[in-house]
Parts: sequence; C-alpha cells; structure tokens
Amino acid sequence: MPPQAFMGMPPQPKDDIETTWNYLQQGITRIMLNLQEGIDLQTYMGIYTAVHNFCTSQKAVGFALATTVVGASQRGAHLLGEDLYKMLSDYLTEHLRGLIAESKAHTEEALLAFYIREWQRYTDAAKYIHHLFRYLNRHWVKREMDEGKKNVYDVYTLHLVRWRDVLFAQVSEKVMDAVLKLVEKQRNGETIEHNQIKQVVDSFVSLGLDEGDSSKTTLDVYRFNFERPFLEATKVFYQNESKQFVAENSVVEYMKKAEARLDEEEERVKIYLHPDIGIPLKKACNQVLIADHSNILRDEFQVLLDNDREEDMARMYNLLSRIPDGLDPLRTKFETHVRNAGLAAVAKVASDADKLEPKVYVDALLEIHTQYQGLVKRAFTDEPEFTRSLDNACREFVNRNEVCKSGSNKSPELLAKYSDVLLRKSGTGVEDAELENTLVQIMTVFKYIEDKDVFQKFYSRMLARRLVHSNSSSDDAETSMISKLKEACGFEYTNKLQRMFQDMQISKDLNTGFKEHVQSLGAKGLDSAYSILGTGFWPLQAPGTNFNPPEEISADCDRFARFYKNKHEGRKLTWLWQLCKGEVKATYIKNAKMPYTFQVSIYQMAILLLFNEKSKNTYDEIASTTQLNSEALDPSLGIFLKAKVLCLDPGSGKIGPGATFSLNYEFKNKKYRVNLNVGMKSEARQEEAETNKTIEEDRKLLLQSAIVRIMKARKRMKHQQLVSETINQIRARFVPKVSDIKKCIEILLDKEYLERLDDDEIGYLA
Amino acid sequence: MSDKNTQKVTLTSNEGSQIEVDRVVAERSMLIKNLMEDLGDEAIVSPIPIPNVNDPVLRKVVEWCEHHRNDAAQSADDDNDNRKKTTDIDEWDQKFMQVDQEMLFEIILAANYLDIKALLDVGCKTVANMIKGKSPEEIRKTFNITNDFTPEEEEQIRRENEWAEDR
Repeated sequence: MPPQAFMGMPPQPKDDIETTWNYLQQGITRIMLNLQEGIDLQTYMGIYTAVHNFCTSQKAVGFALATTVVGASQRGAHLLGEDLYKMLSDYLTEHLRGLIAESKAHTEEALLAFYIREWQRYTDAAKYIHHLFRYLNRHWVKREMDEGKKNVYDVYTLHLVRWRDVLFAQVSEKVMDAVLKLVEKQRNGETIEHNQIKQVVDSFVSLGLDEGDSSKTTLDVYRFNFERPFLEATKVFYQNESKQFVAENSVVEYMKKAEARLDEEEERVKIYLHPDIGIPLKKACNQVLIADHSNILRDEFQVLLDNDREEDMARMYNLLSRIPDGLDPLRTKFETHVRNAGLAAVAKVASDADKLEPKVYVDALLEIHTQYQGLVKRAFTDEPEFTRSLDNACREFVNRNEVCKSGSNKSPELLAKYSDVLLRKSGTGVEDAELENTLVQIMTVFKYIEDKDVFQKFYSRMLARRLVHSNSSSDDAETSMISKLKEACGFEYTNKLQRMFQDMQISKDLNTGFKEHVQSLGAKGLDSAYSILGTGFWPLQAPGTNFNPPEEISADCDRFARFYKNKHEGRKLTWLWQLCKGEVKATYIKNAKMPYTFQVSIYQMAILLLFNEKSKNTYDEIASTTQLNSEALDPSLGIFLKAKVLCLDPGSGKIGPGATFSLNYEFKNKKYRVNLNVGMKSEARQEEAETNKTIEEDRKLLLQSAIVRIMKARKRMKHQQLVSETINQIRARFVPKVSDIKKCIEILLDKEYLERLDDDEIGYLA
Repeated sequence: MSDKNTQKVTLTSNEGSQIEVDRVVAERSMLIKNLMEDLGDEAIVSPIPIPNVNDPVLRKVVEWCEHHRNDAAQSADDDNDNRKKTTDIDEWDQKFMQVDQEMLFEIILAANYLDIKALLDVGCKTVANMIKGKSPEEIRKTFNITNDFTPEEEEQIRRENEWAEDR
C-alpha cells in the first residue's frame, strides 16, 4: 500500500527560494531517514515539480514561455538553480555532521555495522534525490559543468563528495581500524562476517571520484585509505607470525605454512576484497613470507636434494618462484648437484676404463639424466631455466668425467660403440620398439656430447663394417638412427652415412645384373657378390699388402671388373681385399659325416686353396704365391693353427720364414659351419688409434673451411671477430681451441687465401 | 517481471482527468521511467499525477509517445547526436506539430517538464523553422513580440551583426 501523501502540491513558479526549500526539505528528510516506508506518488511528483518550477520561474516577466525554453539552448540565458544546489549541499553537510556525532557511540564491529548501515541508507536516498533533482542536473548543473566550473557535480556525485569530505574524512581511519581487527581475527582462525568488509571496500571504492571527469572513477581514495593500511597490517602480522613459526618449526613445516597462508590471502581477495589489491597483497605477502626467509629456505634445498624429497622441493620451487630472482641460487645448487651425481655414477663404473662396456657407461649417464629430468618435470614444472641447468650439468659430466681422463674422446667413442652393439645383428634379439627407445636415449646423450665429430668418425667406421659384413640388425633401425642424427646435426653431418647406404643399394642391383650377364654368357661363375663403395664416402683404405688372388677367384673378379667398366667407363676400381670373405667346403676330412664349411677371409681362402695342390706348404711358398706380407699373412695362419685346421710341422718353431704347415685331416668341430674369419683384437685397437689420429687432421680441415666460408661472406673482418665467429660455426661439431683457430688462420695466410690488413683486420683473397 | 508492453499506467492531468497508456509509452518520459524504477511496480497501480500539464496537452504528448513507442531508448547523454545538428523533421512529426502557436509552446514546456528529449527537440526545431529566413520585423509579427528597442539600440545591433546578413 502506498503511504498517504503527507505533502501538498508543490509551490507554483515564481515562489521564492525559502518557500521552495521548506517544501523540498520535508521531502528530502523523509527520503533520507525513512525511505524504507516508501514514498508515495504525490510526494515524488511534488518534489520533482517543485524543483522544476523553481528552476523555470523567471524573474523577468513577459515572454516567459518562449525565453525559458528556447533560451536553454542559447548562451547567455540565466539558469536558476544555484541557490537550490547550495541549499541541498548544506543540508547534506548538516545531515552528515549528525552522523559523525552518532558514530562516536560505536567502536569496532559496531562501528562497522553503523558505517555500512548509514552508507547504504545514504546512497539509496542519493539515488532518489538524484532522480528528483533531475531537472537541476539537466540544466543548471550541466551548464556549470560545460563551462568548466570545478566543484559542481551532478546531484548523486554531490552526495558522494559531501560524504567523502565531511564524514569519511573524520571516521574512515576508525572504520579501517575496525576492518583490520576483524581481518586479524580471521587470520587467527576465527569466523567473521566478511560481508561487512566487502561493503566497506565497495563504499571506499565508490568514493574515488575523478576530479577531472565526473563520469569516471579512480581508485585513489580506496588505495590510500584502504589498500595502504591493509597492506601495512598484513606485513606486520606475517612478519611476526613467520618469525615465531620459523623459530619453532622445521623449514619444511614452515613452507607448508607459508603456502597455506599465501593461498588463504589469495582466497581473501576473491571473497571480499577489491581485485585491485590482488597484486600488491601478493607482493607484500611474498616479501614477508618468502623473501625475508629465502636464505633458510635455500639452505634447506641441498638437504632436500640429498634425500630426494621431491614433494618438498616442488613446494620450495613454488614458493621461491614467486619472488624476483628467487630461483637462481636453487638452479646453481641443482646444477652442481647433478654434475656431482653424474661424476659419481661414472666413477663407479669406471674402475677399469679399458674394459668398460659401452652399455654400462651409457646406462650410467642415462640413469642420472633420467632421474633429474624427472625431478625437473615433477618438482620444477619443466621450467626452462632448470632444464638449462640440467643440460649444463649433463654436458659437464658427459664430456669431462673419470672415463674421459684416459682420452677426451672416450664419451663419443663409447656412445658410438654402444649404438654399434645395438644395431649389429646379435643373438639377444632386441624388440623393435625397445630398440627404437634405446636409440632415442642414445640421442639424449648425443645431444650433450661436445665432440660430435668424434662420434661421427666412430659411427661411420662401424656403420661401414656393419654394411660390408652385412650384419646390421635392421635397415629400419639404421635409417631411423641416421635421420635422428640428421635432425640433430644437419644434412652435412649424415651425408656420408647416407651415401654408404645408397652404395649398398646400388650394389645389390648391380649384382643382379651381373648374375644375368654371367648366365647369358653361359659361363659357370662363382656364387659371388660385389659391393661398389664410393671413395671418399667410406672410411676405408686400400689394403696394406699386395695380394695375388687365387685363380678360382680372379676369373670371376676380372669378369666383374669388365662388366662394371662396360657400364661405367672411366671409373677406377680398387679391390679392398682385406674386406673380402667367402666360404670353402672341406671335403678332405676323414671322420666327418658331412663336409665342414669354413667361413674365411679372402686371404685365408687363398692360403687354404694352396693345400688343394699338396698337403704341406712352407711359409715362404705361401708368401710368394699369395704375395701377402707378413702383417696380413701371420694372423691368418695363426687362426688356422689355433682352430687346428692346419698344423705346424714339428721343429718349425713359430709362424715365420722356415715354418712348414700341413693340413689336419683329423679336424673336428661341434659345428659344421666354422667361422675362421675372426677379427683380431690388435686389429680393432689399431683401427681405434687410427680413428683418433685422423680426428685432429679432420678438425684442422673443418676449421679452415669454416674460416674460408666466413671470410668469403664477409670479405674483411677483425681477427678477434673471426675467431669468435668460427667458434660459433664449429661448436655444433666440437669445441675448438682458440689456439687451433689461430694456427689455421696462419696456415690460410701462408697459403694466401687470406691477407693481413691494417688495424688487425683480415681480408679475403679470391 | 511483468511485460512492459501490456502493463498499463494511468496519468492524471492537472485538471484531474485520467489517461490510461501502456507502460512502455509512458516511459518515453524519463521522469516517469525513473519514478517507476524508484517506487516499484506496486506504486503505480494508482494514477500518476502530472501537476504541470493540462488535459489537451497531455493527450497530445501521449499521442506522440504512442507513435514513437518503439524508438530507441533515450540515452543518458546524447549531446553528440546528429539529430541536433539539423532542422529536418520527419513527416509524421511535422504533421503532428501543425498546431496553433500556444499549443506548440505548451507541448515544448511539457516535453521539458516530463523529460522527453526527442519531443523537446522536435518542438524546438519547429520553432527554429518558423524563425528561419525571416526579417526581425517578420519574426516579431510571427510571435507577436513588441519591439522594445530604441532606434539607436536597433542601429547598433544591426551594425554589430552586419557580417551575418544576406547580400
């Protein structure tokens, strides 16, 4: 039910200000104090009309109608309303002074309740009065503001300004004290009416008026009167709390506490604070809860690392990541720790560096990497900087450890050997999927290897061996590994490896062609297969001995050579006898149910075939027929003796000139296929040494070509710049020494590829 | 919330006669719109007194509001509106404003009082068009204004505004 009208109709135009204001004051007071009882239509329209009538009353009589209306949009017309505005402003001041007096009766929570209640009532009334004074707003206020007058606001804003300047200035500090006490209570675990705080916040925010533009608001008032003291109180509270807590509890316990407190504060912002405080509050809390205690936290980190306390490390990471530069000391410690762990793991397996199994070594490296990569992932959220620390540590212990002491090329060498073990045909029969996984792991270590060129050397040698002896476990695995290397180091790095593969493929087709060719001739050839290996791509050398192949073989070989030359004119073929092998059937052995088959090298074959003629041959006879030198001949004979295929005649002493060999007709073996083509250890070691020797030479060439490439592009360059640019270019392969680079520059200067210019510059000579 | 299109409100002119209109029509007036917002639905079951407007003018204003019931709502501050810059008036409004001078001014006053900006604009533009192209004497005649300038004053004003004259 609308209440009864208590006011008569408003004064008519031309009434004076006192009459009008008396009428209005009644209504405004009612709205201010008793709005909850409602306002009736008569009163509402009455007040509006009174304001309208006062503003349109024209002191000048005559053309009142026309001038009032038309004049409103013309300059110079006098608009009434200033008196009304001032009366209203004074009224509000008076009302607010009353409220200040009343507020003195309340403290703490009661004061909060009082403030909120009165604020609510006041702003509700302000909305009404704003509407009722709309005519004043539209004309007099608008004109004043358009003319740039300060301190004139629309009626609602006027309410806020009065509140701020009269009441707020007096009581805001007390209200704030009450707010802070309430928050402290909550921080101490009590339940509070946090809606009160939210309302205070809203009130403070509403009072932020932009003096320049009344349609905008600022947070200045709120920031100064709420945020500032709130942050201050928060700091003091947590300073005290954390100091005490740290003194009485372990670091881990403290971290849990700090985490909980930080979450709580974040929650607090969401529940009842203004979002604007979020960042500064976080900053303040981070300072007193984390930064102020960062030293004891960091000191604990080593302990956590040593004990694998992953969860607590994650907690520490989480805390320290919130403060600037909080994590750097952790990263340093982490890096050192991982490096030491890696070195220790290597030292454990490195007791006998010469006999070290490649697998054992690589596994030891991988284990450490896997362990700490897991830690970085789980505890440090895969943060890039921690990953970098891990990489640094791994690079250190992969390239400089106990094993590498015996030779800096050990790491890449062992890694290449391990991949050879994996890729070679073997009885163990690793599953494809597992093999692929292991190759991926190899690449993990490969990434850290600094001397990638050493790896390349060993790898290509071993790949060549696998291909020539066709004992690679699977083409797919080989291709997969090469593409991984290509991905890591580029096309150039794997170019030769790929060419080797191609050669094998081409050779296969060639053999098919050759077989057809032999058939078409109607000749009866050997069951032979030839590989054409491109010079320069394969890490192979011509045999170190003369060799005169036995007739049985040379016929076929010559036919193949003719066949090939026919196809590719002008190509020079060099026989790599040392890599050739074959099988011979031993039909001479008496007690054999079926003939033994010997798998032999071509040298061995030539030796055995001599015994087709006579069952005794002297060393000199063998040497002169085969043309083999003693370095090739002696080991081959050695194996025959050891396997008891041949017997050394009594009195002959050892293998060498003067010795006589005879065929052992009593030969016995469990297997019918006997592999006599076993590489000798000395051979392998020799190869290793050779590989290592070529590395230095190759590096010089690599450096020189890099220098020439750079100079060709730049034409002239400072010496120092050239050195560092060269390091940059070559780093992907190995870590060059500055002195080596300087030497190479000297060589190029001597060869007149480069010239020395003034001012320490180097020029390029085309 | 009840449907504003069908909800009715009753307005009472200063002579006491009542006009029932759809709520959405009445809300063309910012005064009435704010009133309903402030007082709520239950307050407007009784008639709303409009003490400053008489019956014929109120009916005329309501007629205009009915016609413009679907126009875009008046924004709080549309000073930059292009509408203001031109004296063009749409055809219906022109016809609507074909009333005697006294009624025209009454409509303008009512629009100002009731805070119906668009109607106030139309009214003022109509007056502006009545002035446009006329000599001072013609204007005085049109609006029945007595010339209260002395000849000296008049001469001075003419001199000061010489630049604006058509030549």
